[in-house]
Amino acid sequence: MTYEEFADTRLAPLLRYAVMLTGDPHQAQDLVQETMVRVQLNWRRVVRADSPERYVRRMLTNQYVDWKRGSWMRRVLLRGEPDESLPASVDHAQSAVDRDQIWSWLSRLPRRQRATLVLRYYEDLPDAEIADILGCAVGTVRSSISRALATLRAEYVEVRS
Amino acid sequence: MIEDDLRAAFARHEPLTPPTGPLRAAIDRLAIGRRRRRRRWQAGGTALALLGVLGLGVPLLTPERAGPPPTAELLGESARPAPSGALNILLLGIDGDGRTAARADAVLLVHIPADRSRPYLVSLPRDLGVPIPGQGTDKLNAAFPFGAGFTRPELTKGYELTRRTVAELTGVRVDAGVVLTYRAVRSLTDAVGGVPVCLPERVRSVHTKRVFPAGCQRLDGAASVDLLRQRYGLPEGSQDRDRNARLFAAGLVRQSTDQGVLTDPVRLAKLLTTVGPDLVVSPDRGTLLDLLRLAPTLRSVEPVGIGLPVAWPTGKERYLRTDPKLAPEFLTALRDDRLGDWTARHPKLVDEAR
Repeated sequence: MTYEEFADTRLAPLLRYAVMLTGDPHQAQDLVQETMVRVQLNWRRVVRADSPERYVRRMLTNQYVDWKRGSWMRRVLLRGEPDESLPASVDHAQSAVDRDQIWSWLSRLPRRQRATLVLRYYEDLPDAEIADILGCAVGTVRSSISRALATLRAEYVEVRS
Repeated sequence: MIEDDLRAAFARHEPLTPPTGPLRAAIDRLAIGRRRRRRRWQAGGTALALLGVLGLGVPLLTPERAGPPPTAELLGESARPAPSGALNILLLGIDGDGRTAARADAVLLVHIPADRSRPYLVSLPRDLGVPIPGQGTDKLNAAFPFGAGFTRPELTKGYELTRRTVAELTGVRVDAGVVLTYRAVRSLTDAVGGVPVCLPERVRSVHTKRVFPAGCQRLDGAASVDLLRQRYGLPEGSQDRDRNARLFAAGLVRQSTDQGVLTDPVRLAKLLTTVGPDLVVSPDRGTLLDLLRLAPTLRSVEPVGIGLPVAWPTGKERYLRTDPKLAPEFLTALRDDRLGDWTARHPKLVDEAR
């Protein structure tokens, strides 16, 4: 497989994945761009992996989780709240508020926890694969998912009551 | 159910995903730029390593062109050589492939005197207790990981902190430097067709059980790395390992001269392409290839190996320290570019030739 073939088929899914991780299209673009530049420069190493796709996803996830000091994070802080220009979210006012609340709660989770939620509930990956991507044990994946869900549930209760 | 709400939230935000076309173009553009920069760096690195290791000096570096600013005299990091024309090149051999935290276990200062008589290889013991800028006193080899960081080390930063440490310790200005990983040593050695080394005593590898007999032998890349790692079982441990590193560097010089690597452009180009990617070099010197093209030779390429004179720790001391009598004298000679006199007065402290 060449880099071009990989990018042809995988760039769009990676970008969607990055949108779910960051919650913001601009950040997602930056994240994917930085990762894919490194993928292209190190293509020989990437293609040697058992599954290049998973390897790249791991690179991207690490980039997202680790880059505390990275330049794209600084830009993120300056940019403020993510775009709310969504189609089809206006008709049922109350439920739309509820929905968008979930999205904003997500952004307050620790990044690793958010990554586990995206990998399980958006990418529908089995826990073993999530563990591989995050470089941790399966048990750790499960505990951070349940912790993240508990946080979200607590927010729910607060709003409803 | 919160899980279902999550799934729905993710699905609903899919339309946020921007188009891939412009992104892909941006990626390609950035990758081209970075690749070009990396190549320039690698070529520069190889040239520098050759200059350093082969000890082929650079007399035409024109100190009078622009001249260093006055402040550069305070151990300044001037891009130009001292007015005297002496050059100091720092070679760091790190214990690993550079992907995980590594220490600089071989710290070698290549000194090329202004009269271009011959190169001097001065090794600084890794166990020497030295003030590391910002880190208090520690072993010399710790400066590298302090600078580079412990996870995903950045070799250039490790080099930089070690360079400052060495500059403070010795008082000499370091003009340029190279970080050699195991892989770099391996490919450099193989690229010149093996390196002849004459060992004063037998060395047995604790890593591979390979035995290097006393006497002269030719080592390939893998054997060289193996030898350079050994200190257990040697009479004076890492001091003897430093000596072996100096013998190896001297052998590399001889071999490259015999092969005419620098005078044959085809061979040089080949070496650049095979070794280049494995070298990391101080990024601040731009015109290394130009320097190499000048290819001026020293009067003799037979290097002189010297270990910085040290005293063993006594009592509660934790580190090696510099010999209170010999070291200041040696360092003054190094700073003043009078190593020729010094070695003549202290023949016992110099490695035996061959």
